[in-house]
Amino acid sequence: MARSLAGFLALFPFVLICGAASLFQPISDSHRSAALELFTPTHGSFKSLEETYEALRTFEVLGIEKKPDVTATACRSISETLGSLTSTPKDLFYALKANSIVKCKINEKTSEFFFFFTLQKGIFTRLNAAVNGASSLLDFYYSIGGLVLIKGQTSKADVYLTDAEGVFRSVKAFSQSDGRWRYSSNNPESSAFAAGIALETLAGIVSLASSEMDQSLIITLKNDVSKLFDSIEKYDVGALYFDDKLVDGREHQGPLSTTSSVVRGLTALAAVTAGSVNLPGDKILGLAKFFLGIGVPGDAEDFFNQIDSLACLESNRVSIPLILSLPSTELSLTKKDSLKVRVNTVLGSNAPPLTVKLVGAFSSGSKDASLVESQELKFDAETGVHILSNLPKSIDVGSYTFVFEIVLHESEHVKVYVTGSQTKVPIFVTGLIKIESAEITVLDGDLGSIETQKKLDLAGHNAVSLSANHLQKLRISFQLTTPRGRAFRPHQALLKLRHESKIEHIFLVGNSGKQFEIVLNFLGLVEKFFYLSGRYDIELTVGDAVMENSLLRAIGHIELDLPEPPEKAPRPPPQPVDPYSRYGPKAEITHIFRAPEKHPPKELSLAFLGLTILPLLGFLVGLLRLGVNLKNFPSKAIPATFAILFHVGIGAVLLLYVLFWLKLDLFQTLKLLGFLGVFLVLVGHRILSHLAATSAKVKSA
Amino acid sequence: MKNLSFLFIFGISFFPLLCFSFDPETPTDRRVLVLLDDFSLKSSHSIFFNSLKSRGFDLDFKLADDPTLSLRRYGQYLYDALILFSPSTERFGGSLDLAAVLDFVDSGHDLIVAVDASASDLIKNIATECGVDFDEDSSAMVIDHKSYAISGTEGDHTLIASDDFIQSDVILGKTKIKAPVIFKGIAHSVNAANNLVLKVLSASPSAYSANPKSELSSPPLLTGSAISLVSVVQARNNARIMIAGSLDLFSNRLLRTAVQKAGSPDKYEKSGNEQFVTEISKWVFHERGHLKAVNLKHNKVGETDEPAIYRIKDDLKFSVKIYEWSGKSWETYVADDVQVQFYMMSPYVLKTLSTDGKGLYHASFKVPDVYGVFQFKVDYLRLGYTSLSLSKQIPVRPFRHNEYERFITTAFPYYGASFTTMAGFFIFSILYLYNK
Repeated sequence: MARSLAGFLALFPFVLICGAASLFQPISDSHRSAALELFTPTHGSFKSLEETYEALRTFEVLGIEKKPDVTATACRSISETLGSLTSTPKDLFYALKANSIVKCKINEKTSEFFFFFTLQKGIFTRLNAAVNGASSLLDFYYSIGGLVLIKGQTSKADVYLTDAEGVFRSVKAFSQSDGRWRYSSNNPESSAFAAGIALETLAGIVSLASSEMDQSLIITLKNDVSKLFDSIEKYDVGALYFDDKLVDGREHQGPLSTTSSVVRGLTALAAVTAGSVNLPGDKILGLAKFFLGIGVPGDAEDFFNQIDSLACLESNRVSIPLILSLPSTELSLTKKDSLKVRVNTVLGSNAPPLTVKLVGAFSSGSKDASLVESQELKFDAETGVHILSNLPKSIDVGSYTFVFEIVLHESEHVKVYVTGSQTKVPIFVTGLIKIESAEITVLDGDLGSIETQKKLDLAGHNAVSLSANHLQKLRISFQLTTPRGRAFRPHQALLKLRHESKIEHIFLVGNSGKQFEIVLNFLGLVEKFFYLSGRYDIELTVGDAVMENSLLRAIGHIELDLPEPPEKAPRPPPQPVDPYSRYGPKAEITHIFRAPEKHPPKELSLAFLGLTILPLLGFLVGLLRLGVNLKNFPSKAIPATFAILFHVGIGAVLLLYVLFWLKLDLFQTLKLLGFLGVFLVLVGHRILSHLAATSAKVKSA
Repeated sequence: MKNLSFLFIFGISFFPLLCFSFDPETPTDRRVLVLLDDFSLKSSHSIFFNSLKSRGFDLDFKLADDPTLSLRRYGQYLYDALILFSPSTERFGGSLDLAAVLDFVDSGHDLIVAVDASASDLIKNIATECGVDFDEDSSAMVIDHKSYAISGTEGDHTLIASDDFIQSDVILGKTKIKAPVIFKGIAHSVNAANNLVLKVLSASPSAYSANPKSELSSPPLLTGSAISLVSVVQARNNARIMIAGSLDLFSNRLLRTAVQKAGSPDKYEKSGNEQFVTEISKWVFHERGHLKAVNLKHNKVGETDEPAIYRIKDDLKFSVKIYEWSGKSWETYVADDVQVQFYMMSPYVLKTLSTDGKGLYHASFKVPDVYGVFQFKVDYLRLGYTSLSLSKQIPVRPFRHNEYERFITTAFPYYGASFTTMAGFFIFSILYLYNK
């Protein structure tokens, strides 16, 4: 189950690619530029000889002139590989293959000729030994392939296999009844990929055989080939391919490399055997379509497989596929485009003389009879294009399927080339659609009497402004006519009403014949409009794939006056927020500080400060006027000292208060005050008791 | 047995390497799992994959139904990012499912999803979880009869050319994408309630989503610019997601094709697809727009040490360094819209930081005359950038008793009165005692 699912999935992208263009284009310049991009040598050489061969072969097939020059480095590594005694048959095989394209100039100089000759001799014996000792299909493939290449590169005809039939039989022993092959006798898994390799190997053996091979062997081999082709798989667009279902075990070969291997084997076999390989031409064409349907692969190996297989198909002896392609499948009726068809081989070279016939045209989607008579296209020898300059009158704008047939002129070409019976091509015929009598109307409720009516010019600019309430209706109508004067139904005929709050409502515009009309009954739409009154912009879109003047027009606006929403009315959905407004810096915030308390002006305070000194001055003046004296000051030394200390103490306390104001804090002040207080109590007591004693003496005296 | 033990030791010794995962210091992803419906996609989309490989990503290609699929082992994620190029997969193989993919994203990993007309419910559900709703009609495609790409061979106008990009240098790179991007696929809309999802490539106003082969029987659900062709999501944990309605968008065929938009005279040798997918993949894989903030510092003006507490009305200086990850190293980030908030329940001060052009952002302001526990907050949310959200707590106290003003002129008359009284008392005390 899982395996078949994987198989199904494997088909998928190819179907997609093919589905996108069920029309196959031959190899073009896009392949050439892609080849140069894919095969870029690093530091003047490719990673391996295998890669060198693939790159050079691709460049050769595509005829790329400005290829990177790797001849010198390639030749060096080729001669290194050939000269080394440790190289395996696989290395030798790819070295010889690369050499078949690079054609290193070792042959030209006589001294090196001998060297090369002896070298070849050595390789020949080594490969021959490898053939005799081979036990698996790949061993045979590399060693036989190497021998074939040596034969192709020397003028001497002494390269042959002594026991060709014996080798043939031992390779043939790997074949299975269903046409697939195994890699070795102890590996039960068979694959189409191996079949391709086996066919190529056997073709090599046949070409290396010293005498004529037993024909019965060849015939059974050809039967195997037809059995193999019975297992071919198919896409619905007509492309055929081989795919190996075995996923586990060996590394899985994709459909491309498998198919490519089979094609290589088949063409090699057809080239060396007399008589034709009996295969229907459609299968070859299907294979060609498969390779072309891939497009431009992005992988070097896939690319090589595609190009190499197409090159094999281009010059094979079974049948050469011809590909019908159209430069453009969109034809404009208005511009009077002519139908152009090109027929090429897969690599894009010219086809033999032939005629292309348009045998039918069907409107897509309908199974009706053909719309056109069978007719031939005119061949323009200069451009190599078959042209039908005037489309038949019965073809109007629309999408069609055209059916083409290729008729080869010369009868011997019929055997060589395969064209496929009929080619179906989807064609879009486009044209300018005439838009007429467009108008917009506001109708009064039940009576349907016209309130306001305005003509619209849908080709130009419109800015109608209407107003309506929920009891009225809005009608928009227009007519569409094709260039041939028939009614036209576009795929997209939409009317859009957009409220100020960006809520959109979309309506389909229906038609009867040419006349398109939509009537919006606002009474039935109030709920849908979420009871939103206000300005609605009207936009009309008419478009179709075959309509050249598809349009999107803002017609104007309508001011709608809808009733107030009832309580349970649906709310309009939230509209997406504009992302640009959501981000970005916020407005700055600065803190507003509490305002400082209001103070009177400084001068005023200072003036009052001055005033506070006045009572003190008054007091002093009063004292002087009273005539105060200090006659009572003790005259004896000890009381006098205590008196001075007492007043210094009071002065210190007062000074402390000043300091308290200026700098000290409460704790410092209290501490000092404590000391001063005790001191004051002591000296105060002495001086006051002395004064009291003195005054008591005076009183008693 | 010997072999097994060897394998075990081998595995153990490489285990730390396997665990080497997403790291906040080097946020670019490294290991990317690519799930395909078919390996031929490797070849048909090779330009995109090669551009990722050349930027140092380690791509692991697997079939979506590979039974060995798993994103995490022993609690560690094996990959930093996931590319889902398998639109038709109904069920993933192995232990991967919708929940596993969402967990992967929830743990901060990145995701690219590309679908096409064959999108399965599974893939659509992943997109829905990310805030993107694909058209429910499975046969619908985006059609645009006005801004389609002129190709000559595809006449049904489903190959559309769009140049309605999001205006963001960080998502799409500094170089403007000149050529339109060619798109062939299905439409989606972004969920209006989700403000993390952004439309990167929108359709033109004339586009609509419908089945091109059948006539419309009801108005299309998605029309005009509401159709998003490519959307991105940046989750709150900075995981980035890209959702594209077209797998062909990434294909070699559309990357290499020449493009001309219908109705426009400009022809371009190459479509904008390559630049678009390269630039957006740089963004998704955190090669751009990933910010980090370090060295958040604050101090009183004139001091260098960071205080434990501020007094109201202090002048303070705040600075932070911001860097942007360039894919290889942290570069200084230059902008003029980074803001700091001094925040307690609501911002008391919100100030734009000035920059020295070398990544250092600074501002100075006066502490408000409100005391309490404040925070310095940098909430930097910009389109396309990872969000920066820093906060640092700092208490603010009122004036101490001895910090109030001591010599208020207005009070001088009172002081004057007191001191003159004291002077009077001093004189009076002498005269009273010794007068005769």
